[in-house]
Formats: sequence, structure tokens, C-alpha cells
Amino acid sequence: MSEPDFASPLHHRTDRQSPRDLAIGLAEITDLGMIDLRGEPGDDRFLAAIRDCLGVDLPRLPRSSARHEAVTVLWLSTDQWLVLAPRADTPALVQALQVKLAGLHALVCDVSDMRCIIRLSGPEARMVLMKGCSLNLLAPEIKAGFVKRALFAEIAALIHVVDDDPDVIDLFVFRSYAEFAWEWLLRTGARNALVELYGEQNPPPV
Amino acid sequence: MLLITCPVCGNVGDETDFHYGGQAHIRRPASANPGEVSDEAQRDYLYVRLNPKGLHFERWRCDRGCAKWFHMARDTVTMEIKACYGITELPPREIIAQIPPSNPWYGFFDQRQAEPASTAAEPKNAELESTGER
Repeated sequence: MSEPDFASPLHHRTDRQSPRDLAIGLAEITDLGMIDLRGEPGDDRFLAAIRDCLGVDLPRLPRSSARHEAVTVLWLSTDQWLVLAPRADTPALVQALQVKLAGLHALVCDVSDMRCIIRLSGPEARMVLMKGCSLNLLAPEIKAGFVKRALFAEIAALIHVVDDDPDVIDLFVFRSYAEFAWEWLLRTGARNALVELYGEQNPPPV
Repeated sequence: MLLITCPVCGNVGDETDFHYGGQAHIRRPASANPGEVSDEAQRDYLYVRLNPKGLHFERWRCDRGCAKWFHMARDTVTMEIKACYGITELPPREIIAQIPPSNPWYGFFDQRQAEPASTAAEPKNAELESTGER
């Protein structure tokens, strides 16, 4: 039997790295694998097993994330996390987690091909994202590490602020929506589509 | 537009960030043998819902936050959200005390409040609700 070939959701697009005349940096992240992790956050054995495997404590605060070397853990729910690791290491990591968590009330699933990660960068990234969702991304609490599910341009998405100086924001959308999200960002992120209407504004002249 | 705060993760958002899940505190007729459940009881369980003018108890899901279900006490006239509480919980006592006699929810929680805590609690999630174990 032939081995399956990995093809990223946007592999057919010729413009998926540094495309067109945009106000933001836009790129598809293809080298990250994703692991869906669920378990009982009150169970010390579960927490210890995860710490052993990933080298990092699971983020317990809502909308937060934790990072250790190449592994990033995003909080999705009180009992659900998304583990990001280099794509090549993901199968081994899944196996290691499954061995560690055997017998515990937990779930580990490789979902690397489930979502498409689009990385937005540059000072206008938040402005462009805010055109598509009701989240106030200019709020001071939205710093590096912030994670939030959002309704983005009418589709389910996950926003992860990777870095805030300068801004690097990852947008996770389901694979089947990747093309739509990409097209949306190309149009809305175009240099001549910029708006400066968000955030604190001067009162209108009386 | 309702502004909702999720009692599980503290997510604050408008109602597009949440999903309405219908009337709360519905119990499946408890029986190990479905044949023993009368047609009327099954009909009431499946279809008959309260439609109060005023205080109402609903299920909502935190779609863009923690994806957990929770309960909400809401006034259908003023749209005021009186309380949000856990999916396994009964409404706060002070909210129950506010239900006027004209409201179909009046007296609804009397029996459940009297039950021991283990059985009075609602099932943990929507899946459990259909197991009919109680």
C-alpha cells in the first residue's frame, strides 16, 4: 500500500507565502501538528503524566496557553487542550501520551490535518482580524499567549496570539474553510482596504 | 442582543458567542423499561414545553469559550438575565423564590429541592440526560 502524502489545506495556492500587496504578513503554517487532549483537570495523576510527557504544566486559566521548547499547549476548555508540536514529532508524542495516560480518564487524538493554521503578522494584524469578529483585540489583556475561540467571518475559528511585540497571530480554521478564510484575508488585508476605526477615538467636533 | 457571562469559564460575549439550548430542567421519564412509560409522559418529555411570560429557565452553551452547557434564568419580557448557574445545579434559591404564582414554573422546583442532593442535581451533561438512568 502506498503511504499517504501530506498536503496542506492551501497547498494548491501559489500565493500562500507572502502573497500580493497586503498590509499584513500572511502565511500558512504547515509544519505544526495538533493533538486534541482531554482529561480530568482535578486528577493529579493526569496532570503529572502530562507534565512528564510535554515538560510543561497544562494551562488551567481560561483563554491562556503554555509553551515549552517546541511544544505549545492551548487552553480550549476546562477539560480540553490543543497541543501544538512539530509535525514530524506528533505521532511519537501521541504514542507517548497514550502510554502515559493508559488507565486514566483521558483522551489523546492526533488532529494535525483537521485545521489550517494561518499566521498573520504585523501591526495591522489585529485590525484586519477585528473586521471579521466581535472580539476586541485591542484590549490590553490580549497579550502573547492569549487563546480564544471566535466566530470569525461567519466561521468557527480559534485565535492564538503568538507574540505581541511585534504582533504575530495564528488563526485556526477547519480545513474545509481554509480557502474561504484565506480569500477573506487577502481581500480584507489588502493595503487599500485598511480602516482606522477601531479603538479609542476622539469625540466628534461639536 | 443579550450580553452573557459564562459561569464556567467567565467568557463575556454577546449572544452570537453562545447557543440557545431550549428549556432547562427537563427530565426523561425514569424507567428501565421504555414500555412502562405512558404515551402522555413520553409526549410531555419530548414536546411539551413551558412558555412563560416573565421568568424562564433555559439551557445555553458557551460556543466561543469553553463549549460547556450551563443554565440561565432569564426574564422573557425585560430580557434581564437573573442568574447563570451550573448545568448540574438547580436555580439559586432566591431566584426560585421570585417565581410568581402566575408563572408555569411556580412550584416546579419544590419537589426537587426536597430531594437529597445526589438525585436533585441535574445530569452532568446533555448525553447523560438521555440515558434514562434516574
